[in-house]
Amino acid sequence: MKIAINVLQALILILGAPLVRGIIGRLKAWIQRRQGASIWRPYADLAKLLRKEDLVPPSASWVFRCAPIVLLGATIAVAAFVPVVQPSAVLASRGDFFLLVYLLALGRFFLSLGALDGGSAFGGMGASREALVSTLAEAPFLLGLVAVAILAAHADIAGMVTWTLQQNFFNISAVHILAFTSLAMVVLAETGRMPVDNPTTHLELTMIHEGMVLEYSGPSLALIEWASAVKLHAMLALLIGLFGPWGMASSVSVGAIGLALLLYCAKAALLMVLLAVIESGMAKLRMYLVPDFLGVASAVSALAVIFTMLVKR
Amino acid sequence: MGLVEIATGKVLSSFSVFLFLTILLLVVARRISTSVLLFSVQSAIIAAEVFATGFRERLAEAYVVGALILAIKVVAIPRAFFGLVDHLKTSRDVKASTTPTQSVFIAAAMIYLSYAAVHSYGQSVHVPEDALAASVALILTGAFLMVSRNKALMQMLGLLVLENGIFLAALTTTFGMPLVIEIGVFFDVLIGLLLMGIFAFRIRDTFDHLDVSKLRRLRG
Amino acid sequence: MILLMPLLIALLGAFVVLGFRNPRVATRAALLIGGLEIASLVVIVWQVHERGALQVGRYLRVDGLSSFFLINIAFISGLVLVYASGYLRHTGEGRFSSPRWFYALVFLFLFTMISVCLSANLGLLWIMMEGTTLASALLVGFYNTEGAVEAGWKYLMVCTVGIAFALFGTIVLYLAAVKAGMNPAAALDWVSLMDAVPRIGLDPHLVKLAFLFVIVGYGTKIGFVPMHSWLPDAHAEAPTPISALLSAVLLNCAMYAVMRYDAIVSRATGSGFPHTLLLIFGLLSMVVAGLLILVQSNLKRLMAYSSVEHMGIIAIGLGLGGPLGLFGALLHTFNHSVAKSLLFFSAGNVRHNFGTLRMDSISGMTRTMPQTSAALVVGSLAIVGLPPFSLFISEFAILSEAFAQARFLVVGLFLVMLSVVFGGFAYHLLRLLCGDPQSAPANGKLLSSEYSVMGIAGVCLLFFGARIPHIFTIILQEAMAVLR
Repeated sequence: MKIAINVLQALILILGAPLVRGIIGRLKAWIQRRQGASIWRPYADLAKLLRKEDLVPPSASWVFRCAPIVLLGATIAVAAFVPVVQPSAVLASRGDFFLLVYLLALGRFFLSLGALDGGSAFGGMGASREALVSTLAEAPFLLGLVAVAILAAHADIAGMVTWTLQQNFFNISAVHILAFTSLAMVVLAETGRMPVDNPTTHLELTMIHEGMVLEYSGPSLALIEWASAVKLHAMLALLIGLFGPWGMASSVSVGAIGLALLLYCAKAALLMVLLAVIESGMAKLRMYLVPDFLGVASAVSALAVIFTMLVKR
Repeated sequence: MGLVEIATGKVLSSFSVFLFLTILLLVVARRISTSVLLFSVQSAIIAAEVFATGFRERLAEAYVVGALILAIKVVAIPRAFFGLVDHLKTSRDVKASTTPTQSVFIAAAMIYLSYAAVHSYGQSVHVPEDALAASVALILTGAFLMVSRNKALMQMLGLLVLENGIFLAALTTTFGMPLVIEIGVFFDVLIGLLLMGIFAFRIRDTFDHLDVSKLRRLRG
Repeated sequence: MILLMPLLIALLGAFVVLGFRNPRVATRAALLIGGLEIASLVVIVWQVHERGALQVGRYLRVDGLSSFFLINIAFISGLVLVYASGYLRHTGEGRFSSPRWFYALVFLFLFTMISVCLSANLGLLWIMMEGTTLASALLVGFYNTEGAVEAGWKYLMVCTVGIAFALFGTIVLYLAAVKAGMNPAAALDWVSLMDAVPRIGLDPHLVKLAFLFVIVGYGTKIGFVPMHSWLPDAHAEAPTPISALLSAVLLNCAMYAVMRYDAIVSRATGSGFPHTLLLIFGLLSMVVAGLLILVQSNLKRLMAYSSVEHMGIIAIGLGLGGPLGLFGALLHTFNHSVAKSLLFFSAGNVRHNFGTLRMDSISGMTRTMPQTSAALVVGSLAIVGLPPFSLFISEFAILSEAFAQARFLVVGLFLVMLSVVFGGFAYHLLRLLCGDPQSAPANGKLLSSEYSVMGIAGVCLLFFGARIPHIFTIILQEAMAVLR
């Protein structure tokens, strides 16, 4: 029964990802006093893309064709790690947070290769920028997770979530606040959101993630879009699970699961609103300022690790 | 326990975390208005701490001091700063001499240092280590801001953060000094700021800029 | 009641003087108020001498030590006010630049300094010390030139930060006292602390930490060496009467504060730690200031560094302790202030007549300005510690103490730096005084106000060098008794 719930969790993350994207887009439109597209629009986009023809540049090799598949596969594997309604997941006890971080890196690596393989100038530019951002984001990502792991004395995500569930909500831990700050900044960088990257830009010179996918079309593009949506959803769920998991079901009953699902939707909604506000409120950082942004995240996460020594909690 | 009791307890046990956050954000802020806002938030946190201490220890003076902090450091002084920025017609940039990355690493090192310092003295004084470490960190941050920010207004802000740290140290160790002395200290800070404001205007009028790193005529 | 008189006169006098728009009337009013002020201070000193310590309420108290410093304030402020009445003929334009503002600010400044000497409460001491910085900042930047504004800003910033550290030290001492069981309301009162400290045990770590912060904090105001960066700028760019007030009175008030803390801390943890710190800062100040004197190019900056050096000498005297050391230190505060005032007054004359203070553009002063040259020579001979001037007596006392305690490193450094300073002053002064005059001065004559004041100062130096008046010695001994 637990396994079924785990699979259901993974399906929620994967299938609900475009909805998350749609809701964030709608919220941003509302903040910016626009009409905005419907929240189900990303599904329609995916359906449209799947019907279209897949155009491949003549100079591309098998890497170009494989990259979307590897990306989606890695991201789905990441989604299988993250608990949603109960403190366990499909792959949760099979690997630790290092595996999570580097699965994401694997997907990103293949996407960069595919962009380079496509042969366009903007693909190369996007790939090099993405390499810079992800290199700098790796340290705070790992350190933030390490800080939480040290406190929880567990290296797997499920163990960390279980430990956090047992803590008292009101004893705000310095480590958790610092780790949350740095991981939130990393999420913004990894998922290509403002202020690091603008997901809705049409100016190629400002693109990082979008620049890498310029050459893709049809089903390949659909897979890539879906993969980035799943990545965003999975990382939001990771933040919720590591830092605010209270309400997760401890028993396998319909009522508990239902309540946990409701609470998860509420927390996800809160995070989505926060993300929409940040995206609408900040201007995109120029490329040479992104290392500063991520440097701050690194220092905050390093401080979080130091605090695990100092704070006896 | 009543709701107020719970709130008081939580404020007292976790406010230092938020002070560390304001410190980290203060050292990376790139505009004067952001820094002033963060200082205002910091003073509000300290005021909450004063009220919580007053409630827990049943000190009537604490409420007076807390109200003073709210009135002066949370409202009046930031307003004066915003007015100064407008009237001085200076650029809003903070003119930091260290990049944000360097600043935040220095801030992290200072926080660690303050914990180390408090640890060695903490035995003789029975106070929560976090609060005292937060006050030392505030003092170090104020000094760092004064040294690394080249705008006259930012030096004034650094001084105010330093004062905040000293006040917090007094609060956590002895629940504040006698009321008359506290009021005297506030008064001094206010007049000091007034004078610094006058001097900022004079610097702007004489030098046409507010960059204190360029005030290097007198040497030797 | 009489304790309140000088404070009230100074405070009200500031506002009264502000009301007179005519500069000459304002000057006369200022002189009158100054006279009243000095009279009230003399009355207080006399009362203390007759009846012992006086206290008003919880916050104001005067004892032997305070009255000694009040004599200092009274004498120098009298000289300064008379000098300023003539000197202010030529102030600049702009806001806060008229004589009535000058006198108003001077009286506010005097108010804060007298309050420092009259405080019974360490918290009030701090508040008034910060008040001296605030009151004198506008005076330092009085001329509104680039140099003055920069000097004023630096002064304000550095001294406020330093005093903030002194506040931290005060808090730590308060904490130690309260933790040891003292009544919080009395834990900042100097007399209560001096009484209670031998009986109850204060945590030695906290007390030492407190003294460290206090000496760094108030040491910034005194001008001890790592914290002295504001001093040459402020003393050089301020108007001459203010430079005299700063060097001669303010530095002494800050030293007074350190003496009070030293007394408490020595009683609590023995005098090893505080006196070692005082010796370190004193020697450091002497050495660094002495070396920097050799390379100065501005006359007033030269004198400012000389102030730093002499504050170092006083700190060494305090740090050595013992009857002779303490006697020498206290006497030196007075002697130095008189000599430094004389020097600054002559520098003011130089500035007025030559328009500049750069020493390489002035020469041949003996031919063009004989009286000022004489004053400069007398002042310099006094300040480097030659007999028959009074500074010789105080420095000799301190040296004797050092010999008696067999501290030969201190003695060696002391004598070497005195020689270095003598050489520096000789070099600079010979260049100023001898040779052909490069430029003719505007007006070689001295005003009667300036003349008389410098004369009084010179005579005082000689007189005290020959023989200290008996009454003065008694007051000095009463001051020392307070600190034991």
